[in-house]
Amino acid sequence: MNVDDYLTELSPLFSGRLLLKREIRLDEQLFQTLLQNNLFKEIRSIKKYIGFYECQRCFNQSSHYFGRLPDRTVYCKKCIMMGRVSEKEPLYEWCGPDAILDKVSQACEWNGVLSPLQKHASLKIVEAIQNRSQILIHAVCGSGKTEMLYEGIAHAIEAGKKVCIATPRTDVVRELAPRFRRDFPNIKSCALYMNSTEKDVNAHLVIATTHQLLRYKDAFDVTVIDEVDAFPFHNDPTLKKAVKRATKKDGSTIYLTATPRLDMKLKKSFQLIPAVSIPLRFHGHPLPVPKFHYIHQLEKQLKEEKIPADITDWFKNRKRRYLIFVPTIEMAEQVSVMLDHTPFVHAESPDRAELIQQFRNKKMNRLITTTILERGVTFPSIDVAIIQADHHVFDEAALIQIAGRAGRSHADPNGDVVFFYETKTRAMVSAKKEIVLKNEEGKKWKEETGEVEKI
Amino acid sequence: MHCYVCFESIHSKTTWGHLFQLFNRKICLRCEKHFEKLQAEHACLKCMKPIEYHDGQMCDDCLAWKKRLNEDPLERNVSIFKYNDFLKDVMSKFKYRGDYEMVYVFEKDLQKAYVENFQNMPLTITPIPLSKERYEERGFNQAEAIAKQLNKPIVNLLTRTHTEKQAKRTKRERVFSENPFQVLEVKEGMNILLIDDFYTTGTTLRQAALELKSKGADKVYALTLIRS
Repeated sequence: MNVDDYLTELSPLFSGRLLLKREIRLDEQLFQTLLQNNLFKEIRSIKKYIGFYECQRCFNQSSHYFGRLPDRTVYCKKCIMMGRVSEKEPLYEWCGPDAILDKVSQACEWNGVLSPLQKHASLKIVEAIQNRSQILIHAVCGSGKTEMLYEGIAHAIEAGKKVCIATPRTDVVRELAPRFRRDFPNIKSCALYMNSTEKDVNAHLVIATTHQLLRYKDAFDVTVIDEVDAFPFHNDPTLKKAVKRATKKDGSTIYLTATPRLDMKLKKSFQLIPAVSIPLRFHGHPLPVPKFHYIHQLEKQLKEEKIPADITDWFKNRKRRYLIFVPTIEMAEQVSVMLDHTPFVHAESPDRAELIQQFRNKKMNRLITTTILERGVTFPSIDVAIIQADHHVFDEAALIQIAGRAGRSHADPNGDVVFFYETKTRAMVSAKKEIVLKNEEGKKWKEETGEVEKI
Repeated sequence: MHCYVCFESIHSKTTWGHLFQLFNRKICLRCEKHFEKLQAEHACLKCMKPIEYHDGQMCDDCLAWKKRLNEDPLERNVSIFKYNDFLKDVMSKFKYRGDYEMVYVFEKDLQKAYVENFQNMPLTITPIPLSKERYEERGFNQAEAIAKQLNKPIVNLLTRTHTEKQAKRTKRERVFSENPFQVLEVKEGMNILLIDDFYTTGTTLRQAALELKSKGADKVYALTLIRS
């Protein structure tokens, strides 16, 4: 074996990566030799501009996220959980041969049938991947976005391309990964999120939270961004830069969303980005339209630790299991106590994954949650209630997403969605309007094509 | 002003008093609430291990040390915080991830503990050192970082040879491990205050104290951030 052969063995570990020295884990002497032979390139990790710094790993520029070590070296606190970068701790980029992925001839083994609308989107995605261009898929909640991706992803992997599905939320990664492993049994895949133990060694498919993409540079031919409008992606420009860096210069990017924010809506209407709209769910039934339920002095009653009678009545009349959304963690705790210690989940609850799993396995009848479960998670056949839907955390996108949790299964396509509120907000009205609009669009589509969506 | 732990901005009522206090705040009230302080009344006289029923006594561990070494080289240890989950996260970010500035959060409590326990004692403050390898890996010595918060002169009296991380050993392995410390300089009859981040079994501090005493130091005390 000559040097080149050894290098092709190293390339799967480092190709497309942006790493710290301690993440490279090579023998010191070997590492220095590789560095001298320009197989690793050193990148200054903290860039100094006039008046501010920029972390070259996480693109952070806010001064309160920079600290100084005792010798005055500047380091970045924002991405410190991935290992510290400082002026004296550079990043390294692999400049050796690119990794070559194993050949796969039959990537996808999913036998399901796509609805005509899904088929339409699926073709557009394949087209975008072939042309190495961008596309926005605006599909309502529960339209089967994941399945629409299958053909495109299979196509890319069979062509030797590396694919990444990035999403802002860990829960979504944990839900997507097993689905892809089931339907793509012949490929190497890896799920990356904080504290996951998996490692990307020449994986065809990487399913990751957007934060994990900070360790990549020019790595992916296809990047799918699920839930582009979700926190923290939509209001953090640094993550957008990170995703762009992780994608190859000539790679294609696919944006998926049910509730595009203003910037995406504008891009769509100015035709800066090709877009596909999916107004119908995969089972062809319309979206459940939220009911508004006014409650007199809701906030006051909750403060006095009383659950208003109308809400308890709603609980009593449930035939399905249900999710209760509340605006804050404190409120979740409080409501939990008032409802005989019904379990609750929020961003900081340690047993979140476990409780969600229990609810999914029908071990409990109801679950209280903050907006953490507003998207990405699918429970078949549930009802949804929001207590204090007029709270400012429930913006239009959040409300549409929450309403979209109901009626997701083919067997039970309806679900009850109710917003308990005291003061009607603009977000509530426009969310309802958007849902009604999408239902009309779907109805029109059905009439035009004469197709009744059914699987 | 932003919290050094959660990085959220610190909100405070705008009064003249706050105008000056605000610049000193390193931690928001929400994070500060999670710190649990140790109570000296319900703890071992020597090492501050929380004991319920033996007020004003020494814990079994300290008695065992006394028996094992004939005379305990450590006069007394003062710790400030209980080791809870929140502090575990803070310390792992500070020590293992290397967020040096996290130490500023402890400034006030450290100074307070020093004033309450060691004020007006002629003590030489010395941090427990790191081995050269570990220092280079981390970029700073956490014990030295803590000692600096006292705003008093610091003298490095010790060096340390490289051993496995304490946190990865069992209690027995720790207690009977070889002494990794060497004394650089000690004057006859010196009184010393050792500074470290954790008091877990007390082995490290006693090993350092033993070495210092054998070279002529008189009394050795310890101030540690956490009693775990």
